[in-house]
Amino acid sequence: MNLNLKARQNNTYDAIVVGTGISGGWAAKELTENGLNTLVLERGRNVRHVEDYPTMLMKPWEIPYNNQVPPEEAKHYQKQMRTGYTIRQTTKHWWVRDTDQPYEEVKRFDWIRGYHVGGRSIMWGRQSYRLAPMDFEANAKDGIGVDWPIRYDDLAPWYTHVEKFAGISGEALGLPQLPDSDFLPPWELNCLEEVLKETMAERFNRVLTIGRTANMTQPHNGRGKCMSRNLCSRGCPYGGYFSSNASTLPAAAATGNMTLRPHSIVDSVIYDEELGKATGVRVIDAETLETTEYYANVIFLNASCMNTTLIMMNSISDRFPNGLGNDSGELGHNVMDHHFRVGANGEYDGFEDRYYWGRRPTGFYIPRYRNLERNDRPYLRGFGYQGGASREGWQRGVRELAIGEPLKEFVQAPGRWTMGMTAFGEMLPDHSNRVYLDRDKTDKWGQPTLVFDVEFKENEYKMREDMKNDAAEMLEAAGMKNVRTFDDPGGPGLGIHEMGTARMGRDPKTSVLNGWNQVHACKNVYVTDGACMTSAACQNPSLTYMAFAARAANHAAEELKKGNL
Amino acid sequence: MEKIDRKEAIKRAAALMGGVVFAPSILGVLKGCTASPGPWQPELFSSRQAAFTTAMANTILPGAAEQGVPAFIESMVKDIYTEEQREMYIDAMDTLIEKCVVETGSDFAELDEQAQFDFATIENTNAVEAGYAEGPQFFLILKELTMVGFFTSEYGATQVLRYQEIPGVYQGCIPFEDVGKTWATS
Ligand SMILES: Cc1cc2nc3c(=O)[nH]c(=O)nc-3n(C[C@H](O)[C@H](O)[C@H](O)COP(=O)(O)OP(=O)(O)OC[C@H]3O[C@@H](n4cnc5c(N)ncnc54)[C@H](O)[C@@H]3O)c2cc1C
Ligand code: SF4
Repeated sequence: MNLNLKARQNNTYDAIVVGTGISGGWAAKELTENGLNTLVLERGRNVRHVEDYPTMLMKPWEIPYNNQVPPEEAKHYQKQMRTGYTIRQTTKHWWVRDTDQPYEEVKRFDWIRGYHVGGRSIMWGRQSYRLAPMDFEANAKDGIGVDWPIRYDDLAPWYTHVEKFAGISGEALGLPQLPDSDFLPPWELNCLEEVLKETMAERFNRVLTIGRTANMTQPHNGRGKCMSRNLCSRGCPYGGYFSSNASTLPAAAATGNMTLRPHSIVDSVIYDEELGKATGVRVIDAETLETTEYYANVIFLNASCMNTTLIMMNSISDRFPNGLGNDSGELGHNVMDHHFRVGANGEYDGFEDRYYWGRRPTGFYIPRYRNLERNDRPYLRGFGYQGGASREGWQRGVRELAIGEPLKEFVQAPGRWTMGMTAFGEMLPDHSNRVYLDRDKTDKWGQPTLVFDVEFKENEYKMREDMKNDAAEMLEAAGMKNVRTFDDPGGPGLGIHEMGTARMGRDPKTSVLNGWNQVHACKNVYVTDGACMTSAACQNPSLTYMAFAARAANHAAEELKKGNL
Repeated sequence: MEKIDRKEAIKRAAALMGGVVFAPSILGVLKGCTASPGPWQPELFSSRQAAFTTAMANTILPGAAEQGVPAFIESMVKDIYTEEQREMYIDAMDTLIEKCVVETGSDFAELDEQAQFDFATIENTNAVEAGYAEGPQFFLILKELTMVGFFTSEYGATQVLRYQEIPGVYQGCIPFEDVGKTWATS
């Protein structure tokens, strides 16, 4: 046998998945469970569940510098630090160094990333909400962007499928604008949150519920329940929250069909002009810089919205001179995120004799209530709130008159109840919000870098008025004192829900992917991360990426069997 | 500190203060200083500054020195502050050290316990009443560092406050007596 042919055979699989984050983990699980021999490529290092969570059990007195990072180290993370909470002693190893992974900003864009096995599934906030029927119909109704090529009913069974496995806790409400998930028991609201809930029901006919979260309130599928430590972003010793590392990747490995290859940067997809389809991917070894080609019948791009877009733009062929599948010219356009960091907080007199036990890994949620039946606000779409109440801790003693033993006594009693909430609002797709490649500015692996040209527009700014004022109004109605509003959008991207750059649609002339997440003109390439999103809705999106990934992977397995790919 | 204008001063105070306490909640062992009992060999502070820091931390929270809080304070100033913040801190500390000599005739560390308490109480009251508008209040920065070091030490978190490593469940509205003290972590 010819040596080249042999090498090619050794590097050939049924399927390739690029990326091991929330969406890639699901693609890997479903493809391997369908019996497909699957190569899973991840640009970062391996992270084994539990073994590779170095800080998960550290107690406050074991954490240096009160969890802060010295300036010489911080200078490598200047963009990652824009969140205000990402770069800590206990979590810094999960984030990219901006000095190694540069990008450019025509306008400020906060691109918050983690490159390692598990991706951002390790550090995510775990808030999990279905999109609603109205969300899939909104673009068509408003004449914005393009219509989704599917409807809620197409995705609903797949939401159920992923929820049953992932373990989502929450309260069933039967709301049309926020369909229920297949829930584990909900977390509890606390005393003050119950007050707000009652006020909202009585005075505003609005709903407040406990946050729906991928933190498990009971053991589930072989994973332990959450022990209320609220230290999830360090990794969980019990597997108490959904991550690829704790959930989907072990399931994929258990089939015996997965080959996981860390340190493998996918540079581009190989397109065969004669066959008219993709045959594999080019991979740069992150440690040796060597390039290798891997081949498969079907390729899943799950490198996260922007990285999937980068790979597609970097996949140039005679057929696709402007990037794989970019006949429409929409690749890289219609960047969306959620806009947030607007809302209110306040203080409450009362419940001095009440407190709580444990550290709850979620807060409350107020489902969207604006523009539901009628569009009666000066903007399109809507927003939901996330918030929480708690009692002030020992920190309040700094600005008190007491010192010495009286200071100790003072802080031994908790302070007032306070409550705050921020809205998460829908951002409309807009062709002018885009990301593109700078081929002259490469990173240390020789990869082109991304340039962001994205901004919030009029609809978002108009919506923020309601987002701010409604929050203050509801807190005041619930009897809160000293209610203060805040409004600081930061850059797009700060919601860490970036999406939309290879949107799904019915027409190949105006969209990149079809209703099965296949590239219109290259059907054996599927994209099921945030890039596929046609509109953003206002719900946290990752549960939807899970459902898309599972649905598409099962579609791909069937199509392969039928010989259609 | 007198040299910077008021607006700038407020900005810097916010940077100094904000970073330290209100932090919401590589690989292998993390290197760096935590507040833990044991001897302290100052590396940044002079012996006079170290004696001041020890005496003041103990006045703000009795027992702080035993828990290693002065070493923790020095490590924050030395390793976590920017150069500019570090200079501001040292200048302000020296100013307060001198002020005590002028007002009491003695180094703070040499005063008896009652006199230390009285001096620190006045400084604390002035700083609290000055509020944010008056720019950086060195005393509150020192107080905050002392409190952070103390309440994140094992003794402070578990003996003075209530710490539960693995709560197991969340209950949202229970009698305060069932917990008894402020939670050390949120
Ligand atoms: C702090 C934080 C809080 C969040 N909270 C929530 C929340 O509450 N609810 C919610 O729904 N979402 C939340 N998110 C967003 C959520 O994490 C993302 O939507 C989700 O992780 C996206 O999944 P993904 O698979 O597309 O990408 P990721 O999880 O980012 O994974 C992508 C993977 O691909 C790898 N990769 C990238 N480029 C390449 C390449 N060229 N070759 C090979 N591999 C590559 C990366 O290293 C990474 O491992 C949060 C995110 C953060 C950071
Ligand atoms: S809060 Fe729960 S899920 Fe999160 S790390 Fe702790 S025990 Fe695990």
